[in-house]
Amino acid sequence: MAIKTIVEALREAIAEEMRRDPRVICIGEDIGVEGGWGGAFTVTLGLAEEFGHERVLDTPIAELGLAGVAVGAAIGGLRPIADVQYGDFLFLCMDMLANQAAKMRYMSGGTLTVPLVMRAPVGSTRRGAQHAQSLEAFFTHIPGLKVLAPSTAYDAKGLLKSAVRDDNPVIIFEHKVLYGSKGPRAVEGAISAAGEVPDEEYLVPIGKGVIRRPGRDVTIVGKLLTVYRAMAAAERLAQEGIEAEVIDPRTLVPLDKELILESVRKTGRLVVVEEDNLTGGWAGDIAAMVAEEAFFYLDAPIKRVSAPDVPAPFAPVMEQFYVPSEERVIEAVKWVMGQK
Amino acid sequence: MATEVLVPPLGATVDTMTLVKWYKEVGETVTQGAALFALETDKATLDVEAPASGVLRQIMAQPGDAVKALTPIAVIAAPDEVLAPSTPAAKPAAVAEPGVAAPPGPSPSPSQAARPAGGRVFISPRARRLAEQYAVPLEALSPSGPESAIVERDVRAYLAAQPTPAITPVARRMAEEAGLDWRQLTGSGPAGRIVQEDVSRAIEAMQPAPPVLSPVNEAIQTIPLRGVRGVIAERMARSNATTARVTLTAEADATALVALRQQLTQDGVTVSYNDLFLYILGRALREHPQLNASLEGDTIQVWRRIHIGLAVDTDRGLLVPVVRDADSKGLLQLARETQTLVERARSGQCSPAELSGGTFTLTNLGMLGVDAFTPVINLPECAILGVGRIKVKPVMVGERVVGRHMVWLSLSFDHRLVDGGPAARFLQRVTQLTERPHLLLA
Repeated sequence: MAIKTIVEALREAIAEEMRRDPRVICIGEDIGVEGGWGGAFTVTLGLAEEFGHERVLDTPIAELGLAGVAVGAAIGGLRPIADVQYGDFLFLCMDMLANQAAKMRYMSGGTLTVPLVMRAPVGSTRRGAQHAQSLEAFFTHIPGLKVLAPSTAYDAKGLLKSAVRDDNPVIIFEHKVLYGSKGPRAVEGAISAAGEVPDEEYLVPIGKGVIRRPGRDVTIVGKLLTVYRAMAAAERLAQEGIEAEVIDPRTLVPLDKELILESVRKTGRLVVVEEDNLTGGWAGDIAAMVAEEAFFYLDAPIKRVSAPDVPAPFAPVMEQFYVPSEERVIEAVKWVMGQK
Repeated sequence: MATEVLVPPLGATVDTMTLVKWYKEVGETVTQGAALFALETDKATLDVEAPASGVLRQIMAQPGDAVKALTPIAVIAAPDEVLAPSTPAAKPAAVAEPGVAAPPGPSPSPSQAARPAGGRVFISPRARRLAEQYAVPLEALSPSGPESAIVERDVRAYLAAQPTPAITPVARRMAEEAGLDWRQLTGSGPAGRIVQEDVSRAIEAMQPAPPVLSPVNEAIQTIPLRGVRGVIAERMARSNATTARVTLTAEADATALVALRQQLTQDGVTVSYNDLFLYILGRALREHPQLNASLEGDTIQVWRRIHIGLAVDTDRGLLVPVVRDADSKGLLQLARETQTLVERARSGQCSPAELSGGTFTLTNLGMLGVDAFTPVINLPECAILGVGRIKVKPVMVGERVVGRHMVWLSLSFDHRLVDGGPAARFLQRVTQLTERPHLLLA
């Protein structure tokens, strides 16, 4: 057992899966070039040395092309782990992911499978509106894709390994602030998501959420960075006698609905926190699901704490207003508690 | 837009407070967040901030007045704003002191007075569920949730404020195990204590009431069990009680039989399906004599002659006139005889001789839309054949699905007299003759 960052845990997961299964390959931009960073955030650093450039494939800056190659490779029998430097570039891959990868198994009556893993960094980190979005909701909307959002090093490794072994296309969103990238790729304002990662092999099942903090008064659901915002808010609220239960679904599709419903049935209040823009976001979907399935257990209207409906700002001061803060979570909790 | 200033709820227990002073006078400018008035609770004196900026246009209470939480106490509005006359601000918010004459008309209940102006109060789904569970009147609740909605804690506060009756520990455990809200019970023990008997009575009352029994029914007709009815009753019961009845069913393709009957009709020979089955049965029974038998005391009599009874539904009940020597008669003769017998049976003219001596029975419910059934054996005979309706159904013929006239044949036999094998072979032969009536010529 050793303390590892998310980047280290992901790198270890990829290396282990590549050693275990010769069909596993990496494909992406600048993931294995000599003297490079190992992808945009150092996840694939050193993998080309061990596995060679045949299995750690660098592509031109052409996301549609690399996604198409990865989807084709997956259909053809390989198990590619593809990588875009910033999740924002997934829009360039959209046809491959939404029209091809997600639908092939269904349309072929199960004859074809697409065991593709697409890794995508998300989150606002002072890089401007085209390198900052939280795109999860775009992909939770597409049937046929599994969508993962690990917020700890332990989950990052266990979920990525499960994703590689899954026969369906899996998108795994990684948060830049939580990565723990070092050297030139270190992120300002990073939060440590490092934690103990077992030396022996383990998997984290896709579709199982966790309660990060138990509480009786209000349920806060967050993902990626906002799990940490929710935890920090919960600590401060506890000093005022409000016990918040913080849920990290870890997997967005398939969603561990029962974990959330069970919690709301207990607390009667729900606050959903996410970094995506408010309208059409994932938080709204969680709120709708709870309103439909646990309405009579609700003791207050559901509150969403999301980014406002504007592009992510570049200016650090403005970014503070954009990304949901601990204070905004506290405010929302107090409102549903009837204290405001 | 005018802002109504409400007396804030200062804790769950404080309902009525005393207005100490106003920091502003009517007509003065107020700023949101600045102290507007002071309230005294039983514990402390607190300043209340103005909820909006504007001009203090109205006040509804004077220092020294008792005021209730969540009632309007002032109105803040723009200097030139016209206040609607219907603004609840016009209503007095101060609690009437004892001795002060009540305003005319129905006086509002204290709980109603505690509700915010505007009439409509929201309640969370969770609170509503709890309130319904404990039959809490919603108008008795003081809202404290978001947007001044009633939430769970308001219902719980109300319940907690209700005097809790005393209860013995054993009674309490019993009530809790049964999911009974014992706070609603009236105690019959010493000093009004709720005791075990009170709880068991309440638990009994919780049980769903037994279904209400309809009053005793009234007969519209009383029929003595004698005559034909008596005979039928006795024979059916005895048959059912004494025979080892087994019913075999087989579906036969009667298309050829239907065609044959049409052909005969066209050629001037009018016969019924009963006549055709009597004809078939006569021939089949000749080949399978074990089915043409009766149990007489300790012996099985296998009969030489074949007399087939035909079950006839009459106004007086079921009658079974017997067609003698059915195996040796032509179709036309069978048709004539059955027609006569059925008519005589229906008009009650059958002689006892015509109704006895059968060795096998044919019963046909096809004209009434019955497909298959389990006929009761006509004692002392060995067997009875039930014929169902002839119906066109899709049937596989070779590789194709075609419409065919299908009929269910139900053979009940007494297993004491004959075994399943011979009975099945007999039914197989009847089925074959039904499907291929030309074999009757062979």
